[in-house]
Amino acid sequence: MELQLGLALPPPPLIPIETFDLNSYGNYETREALGTNALSWPLLKLGPADNDINNIHHHNSSSSSSSSGGGAGCKKRSFDEAPVFDEKRNVPKTLHLLLWTNQPNDEDDDPSNVLHENSSSAIFKNDGEGLVGWPPVKTWRKKVHHQIPNGGAENNRLPAVENGIGGRASKSTYVKVKMEGVPIARKIDLSVHHSFEGLTNTLMRMFGISDGNRKSFKLTYQDREGDWLLAEDVPWRTFIRSLKCLKLIRSRG
Amino acid sequence: MQKKMAYSFPDEVLEQVFSFIQSDKDRNAVSLVCKSWDEIERWCRRKVFIGNCYAVSPRMVIRRFPEVRSIKLKGKPHFADFNLVPDGWGGYVLPWIAEMAGAYPWLEEIRLKRMVVTDESLELIAKSFKNFKVLVLFSCEGFSTDGLAAIAASCKNLRELDLRESEVDDLSGHWLAHFPETCTSLVSLNISCLRSDEVSFSALERLVGRCPNLRSLRLNRAVTLDKIANILRRAPQLVDFGTGYYAAELQPDVFSNLAGAFSSCKELKSLSGFWDVVPAYLPALYSICPRLTSLNLSYATIQSPDLIKLVSHCPRLQRLLVLDYVEDSGLEELASSCKDLQELRVFPSDPFGAEPNVSLTEQGLVAVSLGCPKLRSVLYFCRRMSNAALVTIAQNRPNLTRFRLCIIEPKTPDYLTLEPLDVGFGAIVEHCKDLRRLSLSGLLTDHVFEYSGTYGKKLEMLSVAFAGDSDLGLHHVLSGCESLRKLEIRDCPFGDKALLANAAKLETMRSLWMSSCAVSFGACKLLGQKMPKLNVEVIDETEPPDSRPESCPVDKLYIYRSVAGPRFDMPPFVWTMGEAVRILH
Repeated sequence: MELQLGLALPPPPLIPIETFDLNSYGNYETREALGTNALSWPLLKLGPADNDINNIHHHNSSSSSSSSGGGAGCKKRSFDEAPVFDEKRNVPKTLHLLLWTNQPNDEDDDPSNVLHENSSSAIFKNDGEGLVGWPPVKTWRKKVHHQIPNGGAENNRLPAVENGIGGRASKSTYVKVKMEGVPIARKIDLSVHHSFEGLTNTLMRMFGISDGNRKSFKLTYQDREGDWLLAEDVPWRTFIRSLKCLKLIRSRG
Repeated sequence: MQKKMAYSFPDEVLEQVFSFIQSDKDRNAVSLVCKSWDEIERWCRRKVFIGNCYAVSPRMVIRRFPEVRSIKLKGKPHFADFNLVPDGWGGYVLPWIAEMAGAYPWLEEIRLKRMVVTDESLELIAKSFKNFKVLVLFSCEGFSTDGLAAIAASCKNLRELDLRESEVDDLSGHWLAHFPETCTSLVSLNISCLRSDEVSFSALERLVGRCPNLRSLRLNRAVTLDKIANILRRAPQLVDFGTGYYAAELQPDVFSNLAGAFSSCKELKSLSGFWDVVPAYLPALYSICPRLTSLNLSYATIQSPDLIKLVSHCPRLQRLLVLDYVEDSGLEELASSCKDLQELRVFPSDPFGAEPNVSLTEQGLVAVSLGCPKLRSVLYFCRRMSNAALVTIAQNRPNLTRFRLCIIEPKTPDYLTLEPLDVGFGAIVEHCKDLRRLSLSGLLTDHVFEYSGTYGKKLEMLSVAFAGDSDLGLHHVLSGCESLRKLEIRDCPFGDKALLANAAKLETMRSLWMSSCAVSFGACKLLGQKMPKLNVEVIDETEPPDSRPESCPVDKLYIYRSVAGPRFDMPPFVWTMGEAVRILH
């Protein structure tokens, strides 16, 4: 069973936050107002947000990296509607991973909210480039890694039999393959191929290209420096060592 | 005898006393005692640290502290490191240099972080400060080797030139030759960020050879392995060394030369560099490993067995930076060999890969937390975590002061229970009472923020991504974390309520960054209007925020306290909210 991790935002809990009083914004010590000296439940017991609601609609979190401002889904809110502080705080017992509000949810209107989907795809938005700034590695570190083919050290790229240095085989010798005109990238295990012939055969099968149509495609690859090159122009060993990802393009003429 | 005598020391005596007080906080406290102390103190303050270059203007600093010798400035927000701050946002140092050129002719030290430095600025520095000694450009950009040539040529007493992690337009390696033959004062030279393959190696060699006080030298990738021995032999007094490219065909004579050169460096305690490492050359380091306290292997694409071998030779290691090739097994070895370890950073070798390429899990970190009693600072990238592991780490290491965990996939739950990681992080903030810096990741609800607000009383910097359920989360942090100075948030469902309810808190902090959250344009405007001591900047590269309804969320928001008022050097995609200035753009 695949746990659906597409989380909708739970309904807002009973929020005992002081209203924002424009005249006396000096007291941000609303913790006192919350009436808590300590956590209202001990650390190890989970007591999640209350399902009992106030009626404030919760704004779309716009958690996609390419937030486009929400568009038609935005509702005007007045701060006068902010809830009045309430001493009572309910502490329900169970934690729901899937919480669907009964209220119309702004998020449904926003098509760009990709995190509704299976979250494991989150990293591969933006055409495989990933979310902007995530994971949080500095630019120059990313560049270092881009120069290293999948799986790390050079010797990992070669099938074990060719590995003269005797390094440990990597867990992953997979490379991404895209075909021109097809939005979804595939992955191919390079360690089982030893020649362009074999590789091309696999790719043709993978993308469902018949033998007759083979000639109309060319295999290109992106090397560690980021340049796109024709696979057939280089020897296999060079190709294997320097390739980062593959792309099948339609040959013209 | 007048009673007044008992209360008055001559100013010179007070000044002498104050000269022993170095920390900014203490100095600030001194200046609050009384007017005369304030007056004396400000005239003898020599070092100024400005955490946000837009919080105050150069003129204000100069007016208050007329005799500064050393200045440290920070520009862009931290998330600029991850490309979240668009190019051209700001952080220009030239206005500061221009003002200081006139006001501080005896300025000796300039340290900058995340600022835009131009060749013009560098040339102005070279021209204006006769006794200039220290230039540190940490994560800066906007300048070229031409500017460096000006510094090299003019600064006769230059002690430190440190370009760490900066982006330099590397036009020519020849700039090194601009150091005059008379320059013998260098103590620290860090050119590791220079990217070109050319460096004037003979100039470098000569420079190193004539600077007997050189303690720290970090080379760039252009310097090949066979050249390292030459350099080291000219500087056996080095304490900190960054290699260049550490790969070559294994040749016995090169190896023994290298090993010999390293062993002649009796003071060497810190190593870095190691781009493109060939494991066969690592044993050349073994003679110095027993003395090593700091090792940065975060570029070294070597596998766990080689890492284990190296690390097991370094029992005195206090600081280790490494790629996740170290794996759990490597970290277990680290835990058993390196009992002095204080800081560990594990970086991802394949940050964008969907599947794990190495066997590095929460187990490695748990092992280190158990085996290394002095561990204080952690930065750890991994792909899975559990509450149980975090609780164990917290209980093992209550002395943690920095804990930054990045679970690579956003919103990853506890892999054992599939629950959020609230309890685990809660244990961290609860047990680690001196925790100053925390980065959260994984699946997190508002609870983690309640724990942070309740227990994180010493927390100064908090980084949050893809976490929380509602405004309550942000409210907990803003209302509970008393020591909070910097808060940076991305992709969380935090909106107007918590921000507005805690508006006054923002004046006690250095800055707040929120991107891809739910703060409306209207709230930003309100905040800008009502809080004159805050600069509320809305950043949007796609379209002006006022072209949409006020209730629409802004793309990026950067709020910082300032006594300088709104800035005027903003690019077209940044708007400052404010009453007097309306939407300043």
